[in-house]
Amino acid sequence: MTTEENNKKPREEDAVDQKKRKSNESEKNEIGAQKEGAGDIKSDKRAKSKKERPNMQDKEGPMKQKRPGKKTDVEEHKEEESPSPKEPLLKKYVALIHEHLGENSLEDAYINRASKELPTLIVQPESYFSIARLLKTHQELQFNYLSELHGTDFKEYMEVYVHLYSFARKEHIALKVKLDREKPIIHSLVPLWEGANWPECEAYDLLGIEFKNHPDLKRIFLGEDWEGYPLRKDYEPYDVEV
Amino acid sequence: MVRTEEMLLNVGPQHPSTHGVFRLVVKIDGEIIQEATPVIGYLHRGTEKLAEDLQYTQIIPYTDRMDYLSAMTNNYVICHAVETLMGLEVPEKAEYLRVMAMELGRIASHLVWFGTYLLDIGATSPFLFAFREREAIINLLNELSGARLTFNYMRVGGVKWDAPEGWIDKVREFIPYMRKELEGYHDLVTGNEIFLNRVKGVGTYTKEDALQYSLSGANLRCTGVNYDLRKEEPYSIYDRFDFDVPTEETGDAFARYQVRMAEMEESLKILEQAVEQFPEEGNILGKVPRVIRPPEGEVYVRIESPRGEIGCYIASDGQKEPYRLKFRRPSFYNLQILPKLLKGENMANLVVILGGIDIVLGEVDG
Amino acid sequence: MKGLAKGLTYTLKNMTREKATYHYPEEPLPLPDRFRGIQKFYPEKCIVCNQCVNICPTDCITLTGKKHPDPERKGRIIETYNINFEICILCDLCTEVCPTEAIVMTNNFELAEYSRDEFFKDLQWLDENDTNIRKEN
Ligand code: SF4
Ligand code: SF4
Repeated sequence: MTTEENNKKPREEDAVDQKKRKSNESEKNEIGAQKEGAGDIKSDKRAKSKKERPNMQDKEGPMKQKRPGKKTDVEEHKEEESPSPKEPLLKKYVALIHEHLGENSLEDAYINRASKELPTLIVQPESYFSIARLLKTHQELQFNYLSELHGTDFKEYMEVYVHLYSFARKEHIALKVKLDREKPIIHSLVPLWEGANWPECEAYDLLGIEFKNHPDLKRIFLGEDWEGYPLRKDYEPYDVEV
Repeated sequence: MVRTEEMLLNVGPQHPSTHGVFRLVVKIDGEIIQEATPVIGYLHRGTEKLAEDLQYTQIIPYTDRMDYLSAMTNNYVICHAVETLMGLEVPEKAEYLRVMAMELGRIASHLVWFGTYLLDIGATSPFLFAFREREAIINLLNELSGARLTFNYMRVGGVKWDAPEGWIDKVREFIPYMRKELEGYHDLVTGNEIFLNRVKGVGTYTKEDALQYSLSGANLRCTGVNYDLRKEEPYSIYDRFDFDVPTEETGDAFARYQVRMAEMEESLKILEQAVEQFPEEGNILGKVPRVIRPPEGEVYVRIESPRGEIGCYIASDGQKEPYRLKFRRPSFYNLQILPKLLKGENMANLVVILGGIDIVLGEVDG
Repeated sequence: MKGLAKGLTYTLKNMTREKATYHYPEEPLPLPDRFRGIQKFYPEKCIVCNQCVNICPTDCITLTGKKHPDPERKGRIIETYNINFEICILCDLCTEVCPTEAIVMTNNFELAEYSRDEFFKDLQWLDENDTNIRKEN
């Protein structure tokens, strides 16, 4: 047998303890047909040698199911697990946002239990900036510190993830916004937090997300003449071997 | 009457005071800086992109190379992120070893900063003394992990090696030795009039500026914000130790110096307690599946590195490799305030201000 | 002036202290046993399980195996084994996963060569590299 053949032998693997996540799993089963297909992809993906792995199309299956599943997270946890201690806080945030910016500004709100019970808001792109401003300035929110900003390519859409912290209240919140993958444009947060400047440049450089009203949007790492956006899942490296 | 003229000056990419490949384009009028534009990216290695094709264990050696002066905290942040996502328990003994390694790393990192900062300002001998003490720490970490800088010591769910025989005693002996040396540093530098003239009131910013620019670590604490993640949201076993978070009010380069010097003492306090509490018995690796395959979901954790708040975001799709991995690199965020600080400053203060921020270019560029 | 004088006293005190530098290369550098240098490979121990190739984060190991020459015995033996030391980062993962400890670390770290080609270490080189082998693996 050659090396390649050897590589194809799927390694014996212990199953990860997924019991905790069972609740999420049950939703996925609803999309039964898709699930089967995804299973196939998964197993033959594993069999592939490491070099071939970056073939990103394969990952599409599993990801497709994952995202819609999020929607009902909040209700479900209530039934099956003890409610998160952050639940009342999240309700308060949602109520405040609804009160000031209307019911349609939020797409979803849930507690990310895996991430240390983190309240997470998914917002509509149009109200992204005004929600951020509300979070920063409202007396009962006061999220005055931007801890992290980055983008992710989720194949169907781009996502910008913002992690805010309130020094006054010692609370965290995650703010997420889904953007059109072909033309990802979003309002910049630099007018609110200067600290968003370079992270936004980084997202622009590596993912091609454009930030409106950014004072100096540039390709901060790779230089203006770089072709393509490396962190996109369909990025083709110019020179594969080096 | 002296006639001055605007000119552009390139500092770097290869310049001794930038501690790495970092370029600063400054527009100066005479001796006064009109505008400074940092140019970064010379050391961008695409860690995040590479990580998308690597298993979690394989990513750990890559994190060593981000902030190469305190690789232990980088090791920790990714392990901690995966452990949080999977809900893994880490054995107590492993946590003690991790904390000791991280605190030793913090002291080593601050020592490098102390030495090189003073070298930038023009004092040569503190550099030699600081590196002598650092060598002792590096030797300790070398004995523990098998490498001097790129430790690759932590694993998801624990650590790779148990403490070798006699190692704990060596750490115990090191603490009073380091205390004495720190006192010596204060004698040598802190009271020195030339040094004080050089750093007092230079590169001052307010608390509001610091928060606005997302600064963290000593750069934030020098403005009076009492914020240390080890205290604020204790990860690992930091809640078992009694230590203070040093802060200063003035927000100038001297305040940052004082905060870092005091932090070394606090780290020694933590080490002292950790050595006493260290459990001789126990596992160093928890119950971890052979192939680490976190469930679907995303996680963001933050810990306190010597340079500030280092964070790790993982979006997992249930595979062995992360779907997306992102590090919040404190140096990258901290450096943003530089153009603001340099504007209107004297050219000679450039190195004082840049050095005071304490950046590591491997971390800035990712 | 007081501060300056104090600092000078510290410096003077340090002049009589023990030297902190090493007399390298005249005297070998003292290294702890765990130190990671270049690997040693035992061809007879290797079971061609490929785990080291899979775990290597930089893909610098290549190997091929062949059937055991003795038809009575099952299993496979190693035929070629190469480590590309241009890209090996000495991360210790290959030695960690190897089930038979066919690949182990040594403390040899002096790896400078005159040509890049010499960084390509083959089975024979790795087999002969048998000094300063690490005790714990
Ligand atoms: S030490 Fe690391 S990089 Fe080098 S061959 Fe082994 S696994 Fe690969
Ligand atoms: S892991 Fe060990 S036994 Fe397996 S192929 Fe590599 S060297 Fe041989």
